[in-house]
Amino acid sequence: MTPFPSRSHQWLSSSPLDIFTFLLLLLLTVFGNTVVADTYKEKLDLQPLPGQFLLASFNFQSHGPIEAFNKQMFQLFPRSLGQILQYTHTRELHLRFALGRWDSELWGAQPGNGQNAGGTGVETWAWVEADNEAEAEARWTALNNALSGLFCASLNFIDSTRTIRPVMSFKPTGDYSKKDKSRLFLLHGSLPKEPVCTENLTPFLKLLPCKGKSGISTLLDGHKLFDASFQSMSIDVRPICSPHTETCDIEIQQTIDMVLDISRSLQRKDSPVPRPRDQHELICDTSKPYASNEYCYPMDNSVDLPWSLSDLFGRTISGGCPLAINPPEKGDEAPHVCIHAPEKKLKTMQTLELAAPATSQGVQPDLNCYVLKENVPFDISFSKQQPPISPLRQEPLLYAERSFTGHGQEHGGVKTVLRNPDPVDSIGVVYLESLPWFMKPYLHTFKARVLSASDVREEDVILDLYYRPALDRKRGTQLEAKLIVPPNSVVILTYDFEKAVLRYTEYPPDANRGFDVASAIITIPAQRRNSNGGKIPATSIRTTSLLLSLPTPDFSMPYNVIIFTSTIMALAFGSIFNLLVRRFVAVDEVQRVDLKGKVRGLLGRLRKGKTE
Amino acid sequence: MKDNDADSRRRRYRELLHNITMDKDDGSQPEKLAQDADSSILPAGFVDKGADDSTGDSAATFKQPPPERPETIRTRLWVLISAWMIAIFLGLPLWHATTTIYRAPLPMQEMQNWSEGKLCKTEFPLLVEVEAPSLPDAENLLKTVQHALDDANDFAAHKPHHLRLRLAARKAVSGKDENVACLLRLIPDSQNGYNHIVQSSSRIVDIHYPPPSSSSQSSVSAGLSKFVAETLEVLFRQEQELIEYLLLPQTSNPGSLNALSSQSADEGRDKKAPSKPRAATADINRRMSRVVKYSSSYHITFSLFTATALPASWDIESAISQYLTPLLSALSPISNFTISTQVQYYASISSGVTPTYDGTSQSWTLKKEDLSSFINSAEWPLASISNDPNLNFILYIPHPSISPLTIPSASHSNSFLLPQWGGVTILNLDHSASHLDHLSNPTLKPVLETFATHLLALLGAPPHPASLPIRLDSLTRQRSAEVLVSASSTLGSLQRLVNALPSISIPTTVSDSVQDSIRHLSLACEELRKGSFVKALQMGRVAQEEAEKAFFERTMVAQVYFPDEHKLAVYLPLLGPVSVPLVLGVLREVKRFMEERKKARGQSA
Repeated sequence: MTPFPSRSHQWLSSSPLDIFTFLLLLLLTVFGNTVVADTYKEKLDLQPLPGQFLLASFNFQSHGPIEAFNKQMFQLFPRSLGQILQYTHTRELHLRFALGRWDSELWGAQPGNGQNAGGTGVETWAWVEADNEAEAEARWTALNNALSGLFCASLNFIDSTRTIRPVMSFKPTGDYSKKDKSRLFLLHGSLPKEPVCTENLTPFLKLLPCKGKSGISTLLDGHKLFDASFQSMSIDVRPICSPHTETCDIEIQQTIDMVLDISRSLQRKDSPVPRPRDQHELICDTSKPYASNEYCYPMDNSVDLPWSLSDLFGRTISGGCPLAINPPEKGDEAPHVCIHAPEKKLKTMQTLELAAPATSQGVQPDLNCYVLKENVPFDISFSKQQPPISPLRQEPLLYAERSFTGHGQEHGGVKTVLRNPDPVDSIGVVYLESLPWFMKPYLHTFKARVLSASDVREEDVILDLYYRPALDRKRGTQLEAKLIVPPNSVVILTYDFEKAVLRYTEYPPDANRGFDVASAIITIPAQRRNSNGGKIPATSIRTTSLLLSLPTPDFSMPYNVIIFTSTIMALAFGSIFNLLVRRFVAVDEVQRVDLKGKVRGLLGRLRKGKTE
Repeated sequence: MKDNDADSRRRRYRELLHNITMDKDDGSQPEKLAQDADSSILPAGFVDKGADDSTGDSAATFKQPPPERPETIRTRLWVLISAWMIAIFLGLPLWHATTTIYRAPLPMQEMQNWSEGKLCKTEFPLLVEVEAPSLPDAENLLKTVQHALDDANDFAAHKPHHLRLRLAARKAVSGKDENVACLLRLIPDSQNGYNHIVQSSSRIVDIHYPPPSSSSQSSVSAGLSKFVAETLEVLFRQEQELIEYLLLPQTSNPGSLNALSSQSADEGRDKKAPSKPRAATADINRRMSRVVKYSSSYHITFSLFTATALPASWDIESAISQYLTPLLSALSPISNFTISTQVQYYASISSGVTPTYDGTSQSWTLKKEDLSSFINSAEWPLASISNDPNLNFILYIPHPSISPLTIPSASHSNSFLLPQWGGVTILNLDHSASHLDHLSNPTLKPVLETFATHLLALLGAPPHPASLPIRLDSLTRQRSAEVLVSASSTLGSLQRLVNALPSISIPTTVSDSVQDSIRHLSLACEELRKGSFVKALQMGRVAQEEAEKAFFERTMVAQVYFPDEHKLAVYLPLLGPVSVPLVLGVLREVKRFMEERKKARGQSA
C-alpha cells in the first residue's frame, strides 16, 4: 500500500464523499511529488503516586522529513526553533526546565528513566556541527542567545564558565553518519539559579501544533503547572534515520512531567487562599492516647481523595488535537490519555462523553487508555477509596544525595551519597560535576568510601576519572568519574574545595544569598544484569543543586579604598611638604595667635552694638 | 606671698629658656629684647591668667624668633615653586591623560559636505538605442529628439536623468558591456497612427508611426521625433519624479539634515516644482512609505495561518518554484532572497478585531481600520532569526464560523499590504468541498501572484511601465539613489552627534568606518556618472553599511553617562588634602612678602 498522509480525516468520516476523498488522495500519493506529511503524536500518562500525589506526563512528538527542514519549509516543526537550529548548525538539542525535587524515596523511579528531567533551573546540551572548537563555541553562544530570546529564559548567561564538554556522560541519541559524527561537538551548560515560570511555559506551548487550544495541551495552565510539587519541561530535537529507506526524519519531542499534590490542588479549587481544614473534615487518629473531641492528630493518606481532571487542572480536555488523531482508515488508534489505575476506581462523568477506550490494553492489568475525539470534551474522575489503594512504586536503580560539609569562609567539602538498593547486582554509573570556577576542588581529596556488607575494596569503586581543571574567570571545573556501586551498599564520594574571593563587580546584587552550584548528573548507561541477564535501561538521575556561600565583602569597599589611599598620599605629601617649607623655632618664639582676646573683643563689640 | 612665689618661678623658667636659646642661636640676642617683646606682644590691659596658674605656663613669655637667613627663604621659595610646577606641569596633564576620553579624529567637514550633498551631483545617464531599419535619415531624427530632450532638461534645472540616444548597431553584439536602458524600435504602421507598445519581458519598446508619404517627408520626421521624445518622457517620468523626491532632502536643505521635517521637505518641494501636481507627490509619498529599507538580502517567510486545524498542508514548495522563483532571480542583481515557510494551526486574529456580518453579500467584513491590527503579533510566531530584514506573507484561512471573510477593497483579491512589513491574503475555503486538508498548487497560484505584486511594491519597484526589465533597472537606480542619500545622511547625523556630545568616546573603528564609507560614496558617485548602476548600488551599499556601523558603534554610547562631577567626587579626597598645604604655603609667602615690603617702605619713609 502507498504510504498515507497521516493527518486528520476524522471530520470526513460521516461524509458521503469519504470514498471519493480516499481515491483522490490515493491518486495524489501515487502520482508524483505529493506531500510526505509530518506526523504528530501526543499522549498524557496519569500515574497516581504514594502519598496522595499524581504524576501527569505529557508527551508531544512530531516527525518530519529532514529535507524540508533543511529547506526551511516547516510544517509541524516550529519554524522559530527550526531556524535557530539551522542558523547555529545544531544537529541535536536537549533543553530542560525544572523546578522542585523528585522525591525518589517516596515516589520511586523517575518517569522515562529520568531521561526527560533536568537539574533545577535550566539545563541544556547540544551537538553542534563545526570545523573546530572555536567555531563550535561561537555557535553554541549564538544558540544560547537565540534560545534565550525564544524561551524568555536567561540562557544567554551560559558562557564559557558555565559550559562543559562531558566525555562519558552523554551520548548522542540521534542517528548520524560516521563522517558527520566526527564534526559534532557536545556542549553542556546549566543555570541552576534560573526560576522557571509561566513565561517559559507560554513559548513552550507555542511550539506545539495545537498550541494548547485542543488536545491534551489544553490542560496546561501556568497556575497549576507551577503549583506542582515537581515539574520538568523538556525539548529534544534529533535526527532519526531509518536504515531501510535511507531517509532521515527530524524529530522534536516535548514533554512535561508534573507531580500534583492532590489535596493541595483540591483545596485550591475550593478556596484560592490556603486555610486550615475545618474540624469536621479532619480525619483523626483515634489510636492516640490523647484523642478526644478537642485534640486531634490528623491522619494523612487514610483515604484516597476523589478527584477529576477538571478538579486538578481547572478545566477539561477540549477534544483531541486533529493532527494527532489517526485517520480511521489506518486502523490502529494510538491512545491519547492513559491512567494507571484499576478500572473499578474510574468513573464516567454523566455530562461528559467519554472517549472510546482503546482496545489494546492487555499488557498491563491496571492500565486504562482512551482515544480522544475531535471537539468532544473529555474528563476522567477518580472515586473516593477507603482504605486507599497504594499505587505501584517502582524502585529506582540508585538513590543519590549531595550536600555540603565543612564550615567557614575559606574551605568546604562536598559529600555525595549513592545507594544501590538492588540486593544482587552491582551497577556502573558515571558521575558528572560541573562546578563554577570560584569553587576550587582539591582532586587529591576525591575519595570513595563504601559501606557495604560484602567486602569491596575502596580502590575498586572508582574505575575512571576525567578532570578538567578550572581557569579563573574562563571556565569551570569538570569532574567525571566512572564508578561501580556494589549491590545493597552505599558509596560515599567526598572531596574538599577552596572558595575563591571574587572581584567586586562579580558579585550579584544579592551576594549574601549564595551562589547556586548545578546539580550533579548521574548517568547509568544501558547495561546487563549480572544475575539474570536482564536489561538495565539507560537512566539518568540528578541531585539537587547546592547553595554555596562565598565570603562577601563590604560593598562600599572601593570608596573606602579610594579615600584611604588618598588620605595616606595626602598625609605623606603634606608632612614632607611642611617639613620643607615650615620654619622651626623655639617654643617661646612662636607668634601666638591670641584667640581668646579676639573672641572677647568680638563679643564686646557685639554687646556694645546691642546696647546701642 | 603667693604672687611672689609665682613670680620667682616664672623667672627661673625664663632663665632656663634663655639658656636654651643661647645654645641654639649664637647668643647674640640680648635678654632685654626678649623682655621687650614680652611686653609688646601682650596687650596693655591684659592679664595672662594661664601665666598666673600654679602649673606655670612657659608660653606666657615670648621671644621674637631670629630673622631668617636669605638662603632659607630662597630654599623655601624654590620648594614651593617646584611643588607647584610639578602639580601643574606633571600632575594635571597626567590626570587629564588618564581620565580623558579617546576621540579618534573624524573628517568632520567632509562628512558635513556629504550630508549636504555638495560632493556628489547625482546623475543618471541613460542610454537609449534606436532601431529604425525603415527610416532613411535616422541620424537626423535622433539629433532632433536629442535636442528636444536636452531642451527639456535645461528647462527643469535639477533633473538627474540624462537621456542619450544612439543608433543601434546592426550587429547586436555591442550593448553587452554598456547598459542600455531601453531599445526603441521604430516600425511604420499605416493603420493605427502614432502609438507605442511596451513589451513586458524585455527592454524593447515598439513605436508605431504612420509611414511617410513621399510628399511630406520632413513633417513626418518632425511629428515622429516629437512623438519619440514624448514616449521617452512618459517612460521615465515616474522614475524621474521618484528620484527627485529621494534626492530632495539633500539638495533643497543645505542646512542641517536634522531640521528636515516632513513639512520643510514639502515646502522645498513646492518651491522647486510648483508646476507638479500635488497628487503625484502624494502618490510618491504613499508609495515610498511602503518600501522596506534597502538591504542586500531579504528573508521572506510564507506563512499559512489557519483558524482551525485545516488545511493541514500546502504545496508551497512547488508553488514558489513555479510562480515566484523567476521573479526572484530577476531581482537577484539588486537583492538576494532566502525563503522559509511555515504552517500554523489554531491561529486566531487579534481579539480587538471583530468582523461584522453583512447580510446582503452573506459575508463577514473587516473594517478598514482593523486591517492594521489584523496581525496577532503576540501569538503568531513571525519573528525571524536571520540578520536580513524579514518580509512576511501570510495566507490566512478564517474559521468556518466567520467565513467568507472579506475586506473592504476594490480589488477582488481579498488581500492587503502592510507597509514595510509584508502582505496578507485571506482565503475563504468552501467548507463543503472535499479535499480541504491540503492546499494544492493551482489553489495557491492566485495567492502567490498577489504576493509577487506585494513584494514588488514593498521593494519599491515602480508600477510603470509594463516592461519588467525596465522596471527593475529603474528600481536599481532608485535604490542606489536611496542608498547614497541614506549613507550620507547617516554620516551627517554622526557628525552632528559627535559635535553635540563632547563627552562620548570615538574609537578608531568608527573613524575607519567613516573613511571607508566616504571612499565608497565617492566610488559610487563615479560609477553613477559612468552609468553602471549595479556597481554603483554595490558601492553605495558598502558605504551605507559602513556608515551605519560607525553610527551604531556600541562603545560610543556607554560613555555618555559619566559626568565630570562624578570624576571630581572620586578624586576629591586626594586633591583636597594635597592642595591645602600648597595653597597655604603660597599665602604665607605672600603675607611675608607684603610685610617685608611694608617694613621696607616704613624704613625708607
